[in-house]
Amino acid sequence: MTYRFKTPLQYVALLIGLFIFAGPLFWLLSTMLKTQEQTFRYPPEFLPHPLTLSAFGRLFESMPLMGRWIGNSFAIAGSVGLGTILFSSLIAFGFARTKARSRKFLFAIVLATLMIPAQVTLIPLYLLYRDIGWYDTWLPLIVPHVLGNPYFIFLFRQFFLTIPRELDEATYVDGGGYWTIYSRVILPLSSPILVSGFIFSFVFSWTDFFSPLIFIQSEKLQTLSVGLQMIMGQTSHDFPVLAAGSFLALLPIGVIYFFAQRYFIEGVVMTGIK
Amino acid sequence: MTSRWKEEGTFLLFILPWIVGFLVFFVGPAALSMIYSFADYNSVTPPQWIGFDNYRDLFKDQIYLKSFCNTLYFVFIAVPITVMFQILISVVLNVEIKGIRFFRTIYYLPYLVPPVATVIIWLLLFGTDGGFVNQLLEAVGIPKVDWFGSEGWSKPLIVTIGIWSSGGPVLIFLAALKGVPAQLYEAARIDGASRVRQFFTITLPMISPTILFSLVLQMIYYFQMFTESRLLNNGGPDYSSSTYMLNTYNTAFRDMKFGYAMAQSWILFVIILILTWIVMKTSNRWVYYESDKGGDA
Repeated sequence: MTYRFKTPLQYVALLIGLFIFAGPLFWLLSTMLKTQEQTFRYPPEFLPHPLTLSAFGRLFESMPLMGRWIGNSFAIAGSVGLGTILFSSLIAFGFARTKARSRKFLFAIVLATLMIPAQVTLIPLYLLYRDIGWYDTWLPLIVPHVLGNPYFIFLFRQFFLTIPRELDEATYVDGGGYWTIYSRVILPLSSPILVSGFIFSFVFSWTDFFSPLIFIQSEKLQTLSVGLQMIMGQTSHDFPVLAAGSFLALLPIGVIYFFAQRYFIEGVVMTGIK
Repeated sequence: MTSRWKEEGTFLLFILPWIVGFLVFFVGPAALSMIYSFADYNSVTPPQWIGFDNYRDLFKDQIYLKSFCNTLYFVFIAVPITVMFQILISVVLNVEIKGIRFFRTIYYLPYLVPPVATVIIWLLLFGTDGGFVNQLLEAVGIPKVDWFGSEGWSKPLIVTIGIWSSGGPVLIFLAALKGVPAQLYEAARIDGASRVRQFFTITLPMISPTILFSLVLQMIYYFQMFTESRLLNNGGPDYSSSTYMLNTYNTAFRDMKFGYAMAQSWILFVIILILTWIVMKTSNRWVYYESDKGGDA
């Protein structure tokens, strides 16, 4: 149902929203392109003149590990994304397509773990990783997510359920087992949701702050999120540098978003509706 | 019979990664934390078993109680406000006019900004010296406000972050709004119901499952809130913006009281379980499910 206010009123409401949502982002971009001196001008400048990229120079100068953190974040988030579509799709297939009786019970557990905040187990996980030698490595940031994240199991299963079962039966008649159904029927038909899954798990991993903070100690191994915190600690008054760092953290996500928008929307809506 | 067991075996093989992950990274640590919650454990020397002392101490721990109350403030005050805002925004977005896709794209964007980057944006906006808001205030002759350093503002500022990054739930609400059958509105129009009346008697009841879903998600979001509270002012001033998770983190990694921290984690776990259960249980009183009422919704 579409509300038919008068169109100008609709635009006014939309523009107010635009101000709320885009305003802070615009201010970030604006600050990033200023000199430190320009940030203290009254009244505040929306479009800085002159525009300068000097903040980026100062950022990489004061944070020599910056490039490394960006690379680390890409490597970790990329692995999580790939692992997620490989394993969570397998697991989701088991839940969506086999006829085992224990499915219902085990899926209820998956849903229950979906509700339980990860933070509850973080401290014992820290002790576990320390004892098995995973502390201060990337393994805690990758392996647990790859081995079946309930959110993506749920997302993929929802999608698989929309694929007609007749296709399974046809494959079965042709002599194919579950593996054939999974790899030849379900996966090729699921590329949109797999792309969504990759993007979302990439974004979750990229934006995660708590896990790298707890599980990684060496600055060289850190991710960009925790790196940004170090920038905040070091240069809390150089606003353009802070803005530049923040911009680099959201740039990859922004780029993915603008090129693959429909996958984001599909993913969100898929989990929300039913 | 054999084919049934074969089916079970195949199923378990497919979900094997999840079983391994669930046992090693969830059940194991959860059991471990249950055990350690009865111990005085600094993670270096062997644990001292102290029975229920950790749980008893919680009731006397002023900082814990304050962080707990802050979290309750978020859950009971910020969550309803946030969800109302999300509904409002989704109604604003639920129009078919030129350029609407542009607006939807931009409204969603803050949802994807990493929390650390969001906190930095908030520093740029609300920083005491050089922050955008204070500079505006000064330009019109109002004295600067120490936003992060004031007990009155520290919590509302965190709420504004939650509101700003509402894009995901807004999309879900938008999908729900589009799912409301148009003939309901036509019937109401024929009966002369005003638009506001239509919103309250048709729209809200029809999207109530989504409201429930969003309420639960937001509650859990605030119970886990950590990054914003830690980075904005490390829970200050005077713990006024300290959250449950931040306090637990500090207990473990700053004070090295791991047993005590795990007792806190368990309490949090039980609270979330109970709250989710209550919301789910009471939901059939106020949530409308189409399938309950037969086809002609």
